[in-house]
Amino acid sequence: MSETKNIYKPIRAKLLEVITESPTIKTFVMEPEEAFSFKTGEFIELTVDGIGEAPFTPSSSPLETKQIEVTVMKTGYVTEYLHNMKAGETLGIRGPFGRGYPVERFYDKEVLILGGGCGFAPIRSLLYNLAAISDKLKKVTLCYGAKTPDECIYRPYVDQLRNTPKFEVHRTVDDPDETWTENVGVATVLLDKININIKDSIAVCCGPPIMMKFGTQKLLEMGYPDHDIYLSMEKNMSCGLGKCGHCMMGKYFVCKEGPVFTYDEIKDQPDIWS
Amino acid sequence: MNDVTDMKNYYSLLISDWEKAIAQLLEDYSIYAPIENSDSIDYEFIDTEHIPEIIYNIPKPTTPLKTFFLPVKENLTSQGKLNSKRIIIGTPNCDIQGLGILDEIYLDKDYIDHAYKTKRDKTILISSSCFETQEHCHCMIYGINPYAKTIADISLSRVDQKVHLEVLSDKGEYFIQQLKDKTAISNSPESEIKDIELKQSKIENQIIADNPGLPDYKKTGKIVEKASDEIWKKYSSTCVSCGACATICPTCTCFLLVDKPNFEKVRQLDACQYPGFERVAGGEDALGALPRRFQNRYFCKYVWKPQKFKSLACTGCGRCIEACIGKINKNELFREVAN
Ligand code: SF4
Ligand code: SF4
Ligand code: FES
Repeated sequence: MSETKNIYKPIRAKLLEVITESPTIKTFVMEPEEAFSFKTGEFIELTVDGIGEAPFTPSSSPLETKQIEVTVMKTGYVTEYLHNMKAGETLGIRGPFGRGYPVERFYDKEVLILGGGCGFAPIRSLLYNLAAISDKLKKVTLCYGAKTPDECIYRPYVDQLRNTPKFEVHRTVDDPDETWTENVGVATVLLDKININIKDSIAVCCGPPIMMKFGTQKLLEMGYPDHDIYLSMEKNMSCGLGKCGHCMMGKYFVCKEGPVFTYDEIKDQPDIWS
Repeated sequence: MNDVTDMKNYYSLLISDWEKAIAQLLEDYSIYAPIENSDSIDYEFIDTEHIPEIIYNIPKPTTPLKTFFLPVKENLTSQGKLNSKRIIIGTPNCDIQGLGILDEIYLDKDYIDHAYKTKRDKTILISSSCFETQEHCHCMIYGINPYAKTIADISLSRVDQKVHLEVLSDKGEYFIQQLKDKTAISNSPESEIKDIELKQSKIENQIIADNPGLPDYKKTGKIVEKASDEIWKKYSSTCVSCGACATICPTCTCFLLVDKPNFEKVRQLDACQYPGFERVAGGEDALGALPRRFQNRYFCKYVWKPQKFKSLACTGCGRCIEACIGKINKNELFREVAN
């Protein structure tokens, strides 16, 4: 019998470091034991041994091949265990899966990125990628919203971005505290403040479903055509391989044909925002 | 195809010789075939004693064929012993065609499922033509004949004291070679092939006659899309989310990976009819409400899968109708909405 690769078997990855980003968000820096690379926006299935598996889009640069990072909000069973893990322990990785951001299609354009909450994780990976090819882009504008200043993650990286030519960062929180000096309100309010040439740009939107819904509506109102709005969809997933059926969104297997779709591709499918 | 090859593809032998050959094949293969139990006809592991009890040319056994390739539970990572070579005898064409969509999913070139592939490679499928029908059979309405021409390796018809074997694949050809080493086997005479074809077309006509006004597979998708919320509420009102309709369905293949220590993964068959199937960690659940969940199975089979796969996602076997404890009959829904 010919040897068929076992698509269900994770490769092992050593946990090098756990970074606390906020009270509920941590970043896990891992070193896979076998060669592993991904394109920005593709996702991995991360296994906590004997406990369970969950899908995450890496938050690290796709150009970095030795280490891989995921940023995880504590939301359920698997992430709870994950949050209790320490450097030196071993995790399992399967993937990369799916279709990421078609970065080549952003060439010579302005890129508007609308992100919310833990949606910053995949966006950071995208930003690393865009920064590396910034000579091919006109401009990158990030509009990011979180609930509280506490949840505004990746602070050092945001500072670094603010000093990067062609990059612009706008942030907002729902619930400000006395230290907060930036915008207040939901992420979409930032879209009224920016200066962008829509004809010459594409938009990327990634965040909690409710933000994606209102974000997309707003982008459409601003004049973005359906096919220029890129959405990173979140669905229940198990296999990541287009087989188990859990991630079905109408005719799509989100794990295989997504998770990144243009609004045009999915607008006629049911329950895209839940 | 010309007549000569047609003739070459049909072989026959006496039932007594067939049974002796099967007994010999038991040395190399595990063999499964339908036999009658207290209250049902279902596949059994065949040993020498069981051989005369095998029932040929009947409609579907209780268990769908998929179970041989996707067991209810299966460890996908531990190096278990390689599956032995198998022969499955007596599968009707509805179930054979149901394998089509499983093949598209599990043998998808992008990600070949090694466990499924090994089982598929090591199994010889001997389908048998249906010479009778059951109450809910409606294969013909969905464009599936009650006899196999594709996917299976052999199509078997037992007529009087003879067994006729039509070769459908290379594996089938190989099977015939093995038989020839064990027993006397000859080409089926033209007249006997005609007799079989006559029996087959009688059954085709009967299934059509038994299902007057039932919308065909080209129409079912439109009907599902058109059905109102009231329809979904009405038909799901007796559904208890037991998942029997999906478990018993030859084309429902959804599963969940369950983790075991040492990074092992166990595949466990799952169904969209169980609550929580699509629930995400954040709590959102698109299929949280019963009518919505119930409706999902129809959209999956008649609207979405047909947009994606060549093979049918419903074979018209009727098992879901028989299995439902809520007495829900999908064909009543189709008839009501069509009118
Ligand atoms: S078999 Fe009937 S009661 Fe059970 S989940 Fe299916 S439709 Fe509902
Ligand atoms: S949906 Fe019902 S009739 Fe169709 S293949 Fe499945 S069990 Fe058979
Ligand atoms: S996660 Fe299994 S099919 Fe997409």
